[in-house]
Amino acid sequence: VNATIALGIIAIVVIGTMLIGLAAVRGVVMNPQEYIVGGRRIGTLLLWLLLAGEIYTTFTFLGAAGWAYGRGAPAYYILCYGTVAYIISFFLTPHVHRLARERGYLTGPDFFRDRYGSRTLGALVALLGFVMLVPYVTLQLTGLQILIQIAGFGAFNPLIAVAIGFFVVAIFTFVAGLRGAAWASIVKDALVLAGVIFAGIMLPSHFFGSPAGALDAVLRDHPGWLTIAGPTKPNGITWVVTTTILTSCGFFVWPQSMAAVYSARNEDTLRRNAVFLPFYQLMLLLVFFAGFTALEVLPGLQGPAADTAFMLVVQKYYPAWILGFVAAAGTLAALVPAAAQLLAAASIVSKNVFVEYGFTRGDAQETRATRILVLVVALLAFAFWALAKTTLVGLLLIGYNGITQLFPGVVLGVLANRPPAVAVGAGIVAGLITLIVFAYAGTGQVSGINIGLIALVANAVVLAVTAVAVRRLGQSPSTTVRARA
Amino acid sequence: MNSSHTVAVVCALIPALALTVGVALANHLEPRILGLPFVLAWIGIWVLLTPGFMWIAYRSERA
Repeated sequence: VNATIALGIIAIVVIGTMLIGLAAVRGVVMNPQEYIVGGRRIGTLLLWLLLAGEIYTTFTFLGAAGWAYGRGAPAYYILCYGTVAYIISFFLTPHVHRLARERGYLTGPDFFRDRYGSRTLGALVALLGFVMLVPYVTLQLTGLQILIQIAGFGAFNPLIAVAIGFFVVAIFTFVAGLRGAAWASIVKDALVLAGVIFAGIMLPSHFFGSPAGALDAVLRDHPGWLTIAGPTKPNGITWVVTTTILTSCGFFVWPQSMAAVYSARNEDTLRRNAVFLPFYQLMLLLVFFAGFTALEVLPGLQGPAADTAFMLVVQKYYPAWILGFVAAAGTLAALVPAAAQLLAAASIVSKNVFVEYGFTRGDAQETRATRILVLVVALLAFAFWALAKTTLVGLLLIGYNGITQLFPGVVLGVLANRPPAVAVGAGIVAGLITLIVFAYAGTGQVSGINIGLIALVANAVVLAVTAVAVRRLGQSPSTTVRARA
Repeated sequence: MNSSHTVAVVCALIPALALTVGVALANHLEPRILGLPFVLAWIGIWVLLTPGFMWIAYRSERA
């Protein structure tokens, strides 16, 4: 009975939200411009929700709590990096948006294609984005599986549940495009906010009188859990600072974030969003409280199981309808960002590989190819989910290490005097090779330094050296690029 | 780079540094603020202050 109530609430909430999203795009004729970037007419409030909707995913809901539970203070980086990312975005995204509007970009790789005058670079960036989105979509799937398994009291086969959930979202994305996803974000954010307040304030108060009481209990049983370890320790202070820098640089170069930037009505919309989005980050503080409370109430979960901790507490100590609503909030937090990520992964390959190299022709074919690719990415992520088992934060960091290699190209790309495409491409390849070498060595950090940042430095050095070398050799493809702009 | 742009960059650098290298300097348990460990309170306060700094940056960029 409890499982029926909880799963029933999830089903009703998800279907209701999808209907709102579909109603928002009723009567809209879907061409690529409308489908991928909402016709470039999205205003401050809807853009805020879209950006926040893509940012506050199942990762926020379960992953941050899971890390607070499983690792403690290193989780604080999550609170820092989003805020630093908004500060960077204040200066960067208005330029990106202006160029996108003037030159008609639809996808993240379009920026590289046009600014560096190289379709090879555009395709390289598209394929990199596509590959790095797979672990990110997988993260949402893993979250979905946890929620459905716990809400169903284990009575339901999670594989089938996840398959159904994911099929629903793929179909939704297929039909509704970006604008539909933005409207679905409204319901999602309201429910997630309620869920987080419950988890971060009511939950610790229930067991320890107040959130501070939960922290006292954690300190009693795990001294040192609430402060970050020393500079050379794994996940110590060096790791926290370098990971914050890495991920804040990567935040807005994700293909789905670039598409959200393009979809803004104007540059001022983006600046105002950058000013106020940090307030949203405070939600994470409450999520940490939920994770710390779970550590005291239900100790002993290891590895990826830590991600389930806070939902298990809700399942064990609260009525089924509360579990249903919290799980419904989490389900939307997985499905809505997954929709935007699927759309971004599909559109970059459709446009920057298929259309670019002549596999598809015309708007109708392009929209159809994008829609089919949505289903392909969904299947790939589903396969990755079935094979790879790691924590939610672990999955996100895999994606960030790779995607952040695009950061130098985006920053230099807004300038009038740009390096040649070959230098940007060589930098990206150097960064990726560095990551692969460290991945084979099986290490995520060197003396506490996040390997993604080491790869980013290698990327920048190779980029600079190649740019100088090309100029010295006098081939100077850069001059032709400059002449075009 | 004109002076209003300089104001915006400085306003952005202050919270950005506080939330990166600043965290390394603030990595202590005591004094606890409203029950939070000092380092978490430090981060929370700077997240709250960031929109203030960025609002000044926004105004000066438009001026």
